[in-house]
Amino acid sequence: MKYLLLRLVRVMKNKLVFLTKYSLYKKIKTKWFAIVNIILMLAIVSLANIDIIVTYFGGDFNKETVIKVIDKTDVSYDLFEVEMNNYKKQFNNIARYSFKEYDVIYEEKIISELKNSNDILIIIEEEELNYVKFKMISNKFNDQILYQILVATLNNIKRSIAFNLTDIPISELNRIYSPANIEKVALSDDVDRNMDVIMGTIFPTLILPFFMLVIIVVQMVGLEINEEKSTKSMEVIISNVPAQIHFFSKIIASNVFIFIQGILLVLYGFIGFLTRIIAGHEFSLTGNFGIELDEFWKQLVTDGVIDQLIYVIPIVIVLFLLSFVFYSLLAGIFSSITVNIEDYQQIQTPIIILLLVGYYLSILAPVFEGSFLIRIMSYIPFFSALLIPSLLILNQITIFDAIISILLLLCSIYILLKYGIKVYKIGILNYSSEKLWGRFSQAIKNKDNI
Amino acid sequence: MLRVKNVTKYYGDFKAVDNLSFSVEEGCVFGLLGVNGAGKTTTFRMIMGLLEVNAGNITLYNKKIDYQVTDNIGFMTEERSLLTKLTVKEQAIFYGILKGMSEEKILLMLDYWLKRFNILEYKNRKIKELSKGNQQKIQFITAIINDPKLLILDEPFSGLDPINIELFIDVIKELKSRGAIIIFSTHRMDHVELFCEKLVIMVRGKSILEGYLKDIKKAYRKMNIIINGNVNKEELLKISGVISVEIVVDDIVVKIQDESIIDNVFKYISKCSDIQKFIVEEATLNEIFIAKVGESYEK
Repeated sequence: MKYLLLRLVRVMKNKLVFLTKYSLYKKIKTKWFAIVNIILMLAIVSLANIDIIVTYFGGDFNKETVIKVIDKTDVSYDLFEVEMNNYKKQFNNIARYSFKEYDVIYEEKIISELKNSNDILIIIEEEELNYVKFKMISNKFNDQILYQILVATLNNIKRSIAFNLTDIPISELNRIYSPANIEKVALSDDVDRNMDVIMGTIFPTLILPFFMLVIIVVQMVGLEINEEKSTKSMEVIISNVPAQIHFFSKIIASNVFIFIQGILLVLYGFIGFLTRIIAGHEFSLTGNFGIELDEFWKQLVTDGVIDQLIYVIPIVIVLFLLSFVFYSLLAGIFSSITVNIEDYQQIQTPIIILLLVGYYLSILAPVFEGSFLIRIMSYIPFFSALLIPSLLILNQITIFDAIISILLLLCSIYILLKYGIKVYKIGILNYSSEKLWGRFSQAIKNKDNI
Repeated sequence: MLRVKNVTKYYGDFKAVDNLSFSVEEGCVFGLLGVNGAGKTTTFRMIMGLLEVNAGNITLYNKKIDYQVTDNIGFMTEERSLLTKLTVKEQAIFYGILKGMSEEKILLMLDYWLKRFNILEYKNRKIKELSKGNQQKIQFITAIINDPKLLILDEPFSGLDPINIELFIDVIKELKSRGAIIIFSTHRMDHVELFCEKLVIMVRGKSILEGYLKDIKKAYRKMNIIINGNVNKEELLKISGVISVEIVVDDIVVKIQDESIIDNVFKYISKCSDIQKFIVEEATLNEIFIAKVGESYEK
């Protein structure tokens, strides 16, 4: 008897391995898997190098705007030069411009030339009432950043001239114009972070791929089970292996697939990074402009994010893995109770909506800092993996909260396994939606049904 | 031996199978007959363990059918149960492995059966590319690839032409000669008569007739006399014990209550001219089926 049982366990183990391999190969050993991954790789590598690609195909984005200045006050251009050079250092990557002073005799000639260029002419004149007045002439004012820089510069020039006329000593003027000395002291342990940098990192690297992969797993499990069910091959399968084995094979295969796909996405990101380095460009996680790698890294170190990653990364990995299992179990159970693929597509809509809710809440987390609702929702297994990474990095929750979420997720998986398998066993061989809930209720209550 | 004992199955309040009992010995072909919705498929699904019985029990060699024995069972469902995106070879491996076979053995058996069914060239073709009849053959092959001790065939002949039906019957007889227990369902009574030894007729989940085919025919008593010659239909109907007289093509079919009537019919025929045929036959299973099912519905 014992030998027979051991043999049965061994045989079922072999069948589980076979069904899992079959299900996995069915997803991977297809030309579509290869095609989709080639497209994904090209898309990710292109996104990582989008600025290089755009530059390669040419355009006016490197063209400098020439600012021509006619200073009728004789004192303003020096101030203009200092101000514009300061701004140039700050906005080097965003605003590209040069400037030059012209004599008043060229005014008409310059104006006539402006129609065929992006150049800007600034005429500075004295004015009795307001000390000084400016005239800014251009064919078009396309560059709003440069326009803002010019407005700020001209305002400063006006103030300087005004101060000069009030006989304030130069040393006093320098003190007035020197940057304010601000000592930043944070009494709380929570460091005030650069939210844009943090969310700009977490979103593209964690939340978005996770969201995408969960949607894939939900659709994959459901459609595969429904396909077998609708061809009646399910009857032959279940007559040879228990429903539990079939269920687990689908869950394991889909999770292994997602793991492989996740690794491939990381690999494509790495290839994007490498191609960028090979092309001689810095790597930036924030949209390829603004903050370069060194600066970005310094920002993360300053904000204490790097110290946090030591515990955040394992928590996020555990959460992601458990969430994939949770969602695939849910998809498997739902697909078993539906009669055809069309029904499943309808029943999966609430799951997708729940995912979307989590997705948008994770975007809103930095905006609604300290939100009680978002914190409570992070405990709910549907949203945990989407919310916890952002909330942890933003210091809106503690590790203790994250551990509670993981425990709740584990409990949910246990409940899905305990009762879901009973529903699955009845559901996969059911082809009618009549008295469906009554049958499942009976299946759950039946202690012999395991 | 397969033994189905007092089995009852409910779907909610609906009784799909009502106290059904029968047994099938090794090397016996058993027919499960009935109109649509009689409970045949439910009975098969209970035998396969796909449905729990509400009462009674089903045993194979005196043991409950569970996953310890299902590797020795072949099951062909009424509807196509093939994964049509797979090739014939992949499908055979898929079901074969689930029956606990090794891949080498599966391929060996597959080649044998594909040759036997004259479709070896389709081995690497996708199932969806095959005709309905060839898909049926593949489904049959996947059901018998493990050389089953118990073979369950739910409407195995649907979609097959007469030549392929003959081929199926030959294979079923071959499996029977090897000692397999074979149960099948069909609407075609002529198929049952060709190779079935034992049967049960089900109506609304209940068995209304059960036993060996020859005993059933004997017990039914009603017989047919086929006559070809110059006879008067009205005169025949006047003979006591004649139930009906029908003209079928060139022949006259006389249905009689039992064999004692044969003499009286023969005496009348002796007086007629140009008699070329006088054949006494047992009633066909089709007649028995219609009569018994009709009686049951009238009740």
